This record gives sequence, C-alpha cells and structure tokens, in this order.
Amino acid sequence: MDELHRMSKLNRKLVRDLAASKWLFLAVAIVILLGVAFFGASFLGYRNLKKSYDYTYETLRFADFTVQVVKAPEMAVEELESISGIEAVTGRMDSDIILTLSGGEEKRILARAISLPSDSRPAVNDVKVEEGSYFQDGQGSTLLVEKSFAEYHGLQPGDIVRLTVDEQEISFTIAGIVTSPEYIFPAKSRQEVLVSAETFGVVFVPQDVVPELMGKPFINEFCFLIEDGADKDVVIAEVEDALDPYIVTDVVTQADQPSNAALSMDLQEFGEMAEVFPLLFLIVGALATYILLTRIVYKQRSQIGLMRAVGYSRRQVLIHYLSFALIIGIIGAIAGTVAGYLLSEAVTNLYVGFLRIPYTRIEMGWMEWLALEEGLFIGILPCVIAGIIPALAASRLIPSEAMRTPPPASGRKMLLERLFPFLARLSSLWKIPLRNIFRNRRRSLYTIIGIAFGISLILVSAAFIDSVDYLMNLQFERIQKYDAQISFAQPQPLALADEVEDWDETERVEPILKIATRLEHGDNTYSTLTEGLPTDSELYGLYSTDGNQVTVREEGILLSEGLRNTLNIDVGDVVNVQSTSTVGQLEVVGFVKQPMGSFAYVTLEQAQSMAGGQDVITGLMLGVKPQYIDSIREKAYQIPGTASVELTSETHEKVAGLMGFLKGMMWVMLGFGAAMALAIVFTVVTVNILERSREIATMRTLGEGRGGIAAMITIENVLLGLAGLLPGILLGYGLAVFLFRLIQTDMFSFGLVIFPRTYALTAGIVILIMLISQLPGIRQVNRLDLPRVIKEQVS
Amino acid sequence: MSKAASGKMGKFILQMRGVSRFYHMGRVKVRALSGVTLDVTRGEFIVILGPSGSGKTTLLNLVGGLDSPTSGKIIVGGRMITALDEKGLTYYRRNRIGFVFQFFNLIPTLTARENVEFAAALVNNPIDPVKMLKVVGLKRRTNHFPSELSGGEQQRVAIARALVKDPPILLCDEPTGELDFETGKRILAVMRRINEVRHKTVLLVTHNTAIGDIADRVIRLRSGEIVEDRRNPSPIDPQELRW
Repeated sequence: MDELHRMSKLNRKLVRDLAASKWLFLAVAIVILLGVAFFGASFLGYRNLKKSYDYTYETLRFADFTVQVVKAPEMAVEELESISGIEAVTGRMDSDIILTLSGGEEKRILARAISLPSDSRPAVNDVKVEEGSYFQDGQGSTLLVEKSFAEYHGLQPGDIVRLTVDEQEISFTIAGIVTSPEYIFPAKSRQEVLVSAETFGVVFVPQDVVPELMGKPFINEFCFLIEDGADKDVVIAEVEDALDPYIVTDVVTQADQPSNAALSMDLQEFGEMAEVFPLLFLIVGALATYILLTRIVYKQRSQIGLMRAVGYSRRQVLIHYLSFALIIGIIGAIAGTVAGYLLSEAVTNLYVGFLRIPYTRIEMGWMEWLALEEGLFIGILPCVIAGIIPALAASRLIPSEAMRTPPPASGRKMLLERLFPFLARLSSLWKIPLRNIFRNRRRSLYTIIGIAFGISLILVSAAFIDSVDYLMNLQFERIQKYDAQISFAQPQPLALADEVEDWDETERVEPILKIATRLEHGDNTYSTLTEGLPTDSELYGLYSTDGNQVTVREEGILLSEGLRNTLNIDVGDVVNVQSTSTVGQLEVVGFVKQPMGSFAYVTLEQAQSMAGGQDVITGLMLGVKPQYIDSIREKAYQIPGTASVELTSETHEKVAGLMGFLKGMMWVMLGFGAAMALAIVFTVVTVNILERSREIATMRTLGEGRGGIAAMITIENVLLGLAGLLPGILLGYGLAVFLFRLIQTDMFSFGLVIFPRTYALTAGIVILIMLISQLPGIRQVNRLDLPRVIKEQVS
Repeated sequence: MSKAASGKMGKFILQMRGVSRFYHMGRVKVRALSGVTLDVTRGEFIVILGPSGSGKTTLLNLVGGLDSPTSGKIIVGGRMITALDEKGLTYYRRNRIGFVFQFFNLIPTLTARENVEFAAALVNNPIDPVKMLKVVGLKRRTNHFPSELSGGEQQRVAIARALVKDPPILLCDEPTGELDFETGKRILAVMRRINEVRHKTVLLVTHNTAIGDIADRVIRLRSGEIVEDRRNPSPIDPQELRW
C-alpha cells in the first residue's frame, strides 16, 4: 500500500513535470509520431495495394504466362489443356489495329484489339465490366473499350467506333467499358509504358468477329493459368514445345507483363520505404529522448537527492524517470499508429483512383494488425532504450552529492583553438558559441546526427524531384526532338518521307523503321523494338552514358543503358538479333541513355535488311512549323495506312501527369524530413537555452543586449546546422543511390540526378529550420526573470 | 568610514525616494520593499543586513536595474533610472553598475581572463582585464577555466569582471555565501581595498551581521522597511572579522 501511495505521488510529479515542459515533450513525441506514421502508411499502403492487385488478378484470372505465336488454329487450345500443370488456357487474337473514333473530330488511333469469347467469359484474363455490358447476342458487332482510354476520349456504351485492317473497315458499337488485369497500367509494351491515349488504346472484340476482321480465323496468343504446386518452368517448357509448330515469338510471364511489372516496381518501392525511412525517425526520436531526459535528470538532481533521502528506492527513481521516456514513446506511437492508418487509407485511395484499379481491398487482416502492433512497439522501444541511461544515472546518484551545488561545468579550449591560435582572438560573440558546441560534445553530436537525418530525407526527396525533371528534359527536349511521329499500321515505302517533306507544315522529316526483335546474349534474352534511324538524325537524339551525343553506326548496334544488365552484355560483345524475317549477329558499339523503355538502335539500312531487304519504313518523325502543330494530325491521317499520330507535347503531358503524382508523394516526404529536423533542433536548442539560463541572465545583467544574446544563440545553431549538412548530404546521396537502384528496370532507367541548386536549397532549408526552431527559445530568453534566474541553482 | 566617503559626504551617487516593490504570488500580495528612502554618498561602503525575506536582495536588484519599483524614484548619478525603458536599463547596467553574485555566475566556457574580457567588451573605455585580474591577485591564473579555480578564485574573477567596466557602483549579493570563512574574509578584503583605492561605492547585501563591522555604514532591513541606518565610526579590517 505504501509502495502504491508513493508511486501515485511520483506519478503526480511526473504529470506536472510533463506539463511544465509540454512543448519539449511534444516535439520529441512528434518525431516518434512521424516515424511510426511513415511506417504505418507505407506498410499498410503496400499491403492494401498488394491485396487490391492480388484480388483483382484472382477475380479476373490474370494469366500466369502468355505465349505469342505467329498463327495457330483454335483447336490448339484443347491440346494445351491436356498438358500437366495447366489449370486453364485461352486462345485469342492480340493485334494492333487502326481504330477510328467518330464524332466532331475523327481520330485514328493505334488500338490493341484483343478477342474474348463471344458468349462466355474467358477462362483466363477476364475483364470487369464497369459500364454497359459484356458482348450480347443480337447486338450486331459490339466491342468493349478499356476504361482509361474510354474516359480520355469520352466514349460511352452505344458509341460507334471503326476498326480497320488492310483497308477493310468494320463498325462496332461499344457494348461496355471495362477494366482488364493486363492494362491496369495501360502500357503498350515494356518499352512503351507511358503512352498517351491519343495514340494507343485497348479494345476487346468478340472472337467470332475475328474472321471477318482479319479475313480468316486468327489466334496468335495463348493465356495460361498454372495449377497450384506445378513447376512453372517445366510447364512453360512443355507449352513451348507444344506450340513450336506455330512459331513461338515470345513468352511473357506474369512478372514481366508490362502493366504488372510497372505496378510491382512501384509496390516494391513502397515496401522498401516502409523498412528504411521510419528507422531514421526512430533513431532521431531516441536521440532527442536521451537529450531531453538527461537534461531533466540534471536539472532535478537535488530533487532526486531529496527523494532518495526521504526514502524512495533506486528502483522507484529509475522507473519514475524511465516513465518520461515511456510516455513520449506511447504518445508518439499511438498518435503515429492512428495517423499511419489514416494516411495508408488516403494513399491507397489515391493510388487506386489514379490507376483505376478494378478492385480495392482495404481491410485489416492479422498481418495488418500485427503491423500496427509493430508500429506501437517500434515507436516505444527506442524511447525506452534511450531513456534507460539517464534514468539509471538518476537512480545511482548519491543523495548527499545530488543535493550539493554541482561543480561548475568544465570548460576547455577547443582543439581547433590549439591548432589555429588566431581563434583565441575571436570576440566572445563567436568564442562562446564555438566552445558551447564542444562543451557538450555528445549532445552536439546527437544534434548533428538529427539534423543530418533530416537533411538526408529532404535530399532524397529533392533528388527524386530533380531526377524526374532531368528525365523529362532528357526525354522530351533532347531525345524526342520531333514534334510529331506518324506510325503506320503496315510498312510504307521510304519515298513517302520525301512527299511529307514537301508539306507546308513540315520543317524536317526523318524516316524510322521499328522492328520487333528478340535480343540474345548467352542465356539472356530480351524482346524489344530495334529502331532504324538515319545516321544524320536531328529529330531523335542519342546520348552515350557519358552524356555525349552519338549517332547510329554503319556497323554494329547501340543498346539502351538498361540492357547492359538485362543481357549481361558490354561494348564489344556480340548480340543475336532475331526478327520475324532474319536472324543475325551484331557487335554492341555503345550504350545510350534511355529514361523510358529499352530499345536497340541501328541505321535505317540495317533495319531494312532485318525487315527483308526492302526500302520500307514504319513511321516518320516530323519537325512541324509552330502554326501547324494543331492541324498536323489531321493532315497526317490523309496518308493511307496511318495508324496513329503521336504529338510529343501530348506524350509529355501524359508523362508529366504521372510524374506529378509521384513528385507530390516526394514533396510529402520532404515535408516529413523537414518536420523531423525541426523537431530535433527545437528540442536541442530549447534544452541548451534552458540549461544556460543563468549564464544568459548573467550576460544580460552585465549589460549584454538581447540582440547580442540572440546572435550568440543563432551562431551556435547555424554552426551545428552547417556541421550536419555534409553528413546529411552524404547520407541522403547514399539513400538516394539505394532507392534508385530499386527502381531501375528495363521499363524505366531513372538516373539519379541532383542539381547543384538542390544542394544550395537544402542548405537554405536547414538554416531556415535552425532559425525557426530557435525562436521559442530566444523568446523565452527575452522574457527571463533576471533577478530570479541569476540566483537559481540546480533546483 | 573611508577617507573618500568622509571627504565627499555632500555628493550623493544614489538617491531612493519612497521606493516600494510589491508583487503577486498567486493570490498573495508580497511586499518586498515598502517606502524606502535612502541617500548614498559616492565612495561609501555600505553593508545591508537583514534576515531572509527582508527585501535586501530586492533593494539591490532595483538599484542594479534588474527590477523596477512599484512606486517611488531611484536616481543614480543624477539620472532617474526608474524612468528608463528596457534598452535604457541595459545601458545603465552596462555602464554604471558592477555586479558580484553569491554563486559567482562565471561563464564556464571562458577562461578567467576571457570572462573579464567579456564584460570589458561591452564598454568603450574598460580597464585592462589582465591588470584587473592582477588587482584581485589572480595574475597567474588568467588562463584557467572556472572549473579549475577555487571558490575564492572564482569570486575574485567575478569581482574583476564587475570592475573592469569601471562602474561607479559595485553591488554585491551575498558574495561570501558560497565561501569558507578564510576565503570569505579575503574576498571582503579585496572589496574593501577596491572601495578605498578606487573610490567605488559598494553596496553589499548579506545576512551575516558580523560583516557589518567592516562597513562605513550599516543599513538593516526588516519586512521591506529600513529599521536601522547607522554609521560605523570605526570599520575594522576584514582580516579581523570573526563569525
């Protein structure tokens, strides 16, 4: 009973002590809150998105792998169904066809037409009907339109569109607007992930319309679901063998499927962020807790002596002071867990809305609850660990010593003063702040660490933003220098380029020939487009990894930077290049920067020989006179065989939209970093000022003005900030390198770029944070009750 | 009374007229000083005695410009300091007052000399800090930090710091409170010498009545009022003090 009675008195003291320094405790708790919230939001966001993807894939029976062939009969499906390990298989047409939209302005777009069973849902790769209905008998020729494409062009059920194959045009009525697991991210291919809906869309046609559309029954793709427990590689090998007579052109696993690959890459980032970044906050929170509690114990020395003298045990004193740390951790962890949960929902909904994921799953399963509990634990534990040392020190104070006036704080000249004697001649304005920094070296070090961590977060976010800006500039100002690119459904004669060059609208025209190829080096293969360019191309820039402009060579092949690792290949190696017409070997003569996609580049003549030796092209790049930008598409449609016209400005806008979304997330993270730096600096600065109240009061009594005191405080804080700058930048750069490595794929080659201005901006932010965080402390100094504080001892 | 004091009896350096200081602690109104009227001649060595709570420290703080009276006037060197604003009081403390505290209040990260230089830097014509340290007998300790000095040495640094600005008035609040008997006497001897040689007016607050024997004048406070104000015709040498 006595024990309880004593503890309740101590708890009363605890509550009052917390209230007396509530802003300091709150600042530290905020750091913990940010860390736990970051963890919760990232992890739960990751789990929610993963569950949403998984549920979507399961419900719509997303294929485990697909195999493309040149052409196969429908009966091949039955043969494939009998292969051991196959749960389900669908055969379909998958072909790029010209789609014409009617309406005020007729538009021609290259559409991926995929066939689905006319009277039943497909066994593999089903679609979700968002508006309208699936194909229905008696409605004439109907098709389904992928949702993002439909939204972009304002298409609705009942609208009429036309598909054109070999100049044969068939009208279709839109039966429904759908989402597909294959096109959640509406990528044209792994190399063309970010394409504008102005130039590419996906439609689904009934299988029984295919003979009319293609002139013959047509299956060129098979989609498979593998039985649970079956060996995927074995099954794929067997399927390839079975389809060998039909000439297999590509095998794409679910992992490599462009939309899924893009989503997975994004998801992986989430997961990594959930692991790495909260750690920074929690370390800083622990440091801040240590600093704060050390100060409290020092200030309450005589109280501790009194407690022990009166009869409180060491254990009770230990628990009492550890409780300060525990409460910080509990408040921060609980608030952070709630914030993290709410943020995760917000982030999930943001992503789901942005990507139009068909099914959203935000639910709290056992793993999610475990994550929340983990968040609580990781929020409280660092504080408790950090608090143990000062709490132990408090419990071990000898009562008589504790109640005695403490000796003056030790002072010494800095090592710097011995190395640079001129420093000794500095005025007190500089000498006092400099020596203060070294007077409590541990605290100064922890402050610098806290600032460095904050800076690293700021820099990582800023690096991402810079890299996106660089990517956009590289892709749309330096590589893609054409204003428009015409793509033909079928290869056209090279002479067409001269005709188009005579147009009033064009300033320059360059032909391009894109061939679907498979690159092989050793055991590594990669399917991509090999692009044949003129050697004197001015509308398509190629830049070596050093940044120098290069051109295609008469001999050899240039590869995108990302293919170096994918194919495990280097300059001088020979790569097999297989097209539908030819197989050849080319020497790799260099690698080029390629932010989006991974391509191969040869001369136009080399590409033409890969295409069977004819003088043909698949597209034209145009430099367009400014006054004709708006009308060039309509003019280009006049060329028979034009499948689509890409305007660089539209693609730029589309990519900018996605990047804007990602940049927004980075700005949030930057804000987190700044908040963390602010919280730790506020804590340390305020503690420093409070500890030196008597010193400061003495200076004021001697006649030093408020401005002089403020100047000394500012100098000390700015120097600490600058000391944290370099380690922060190095840490931030290291973190950025780590993060960016995660997002390097053949689809995106996100080079890490940090502009010099960003370092300056980061330094500026740090200085601003230092200045802002010291304001409350300086205000307190200006309000010091001088007579009282001068006589104040350790109370 | 010192020669300087007796020779300049007609010239007041400090005049207090009806000075009162009240403040509130919660609902309680505390009367720290009540209707104090006082004239101090230049060069006097005054000891102000009184028990705890008698108002002696409050009186010192008011004279030193650290606090403002609730009512009354304080004139120092012909200037009414009660009319000064915060900036004015800062300048007043800088140029007219030297403070010596019970707990020394040295800046721990500065050496003895640097502590004195810190104060010297605030005025236009300070006394040379090293010379000042010599005066208080710390010629060989100038480069030591406070943590390397004894209590008496620290207090002597504090005295040097107070005087380096060459203020006319030295205010000492329990200067021997943290010192042992012998050291305390030595400090008092330093102060007395400074008073006699440099003609500084010294107001020394203490609860130790024995110290009154070294003063030219003893003022006793009780409950915020002056209850005694007497001249000491034969001040003794501080080394002869016994308490």
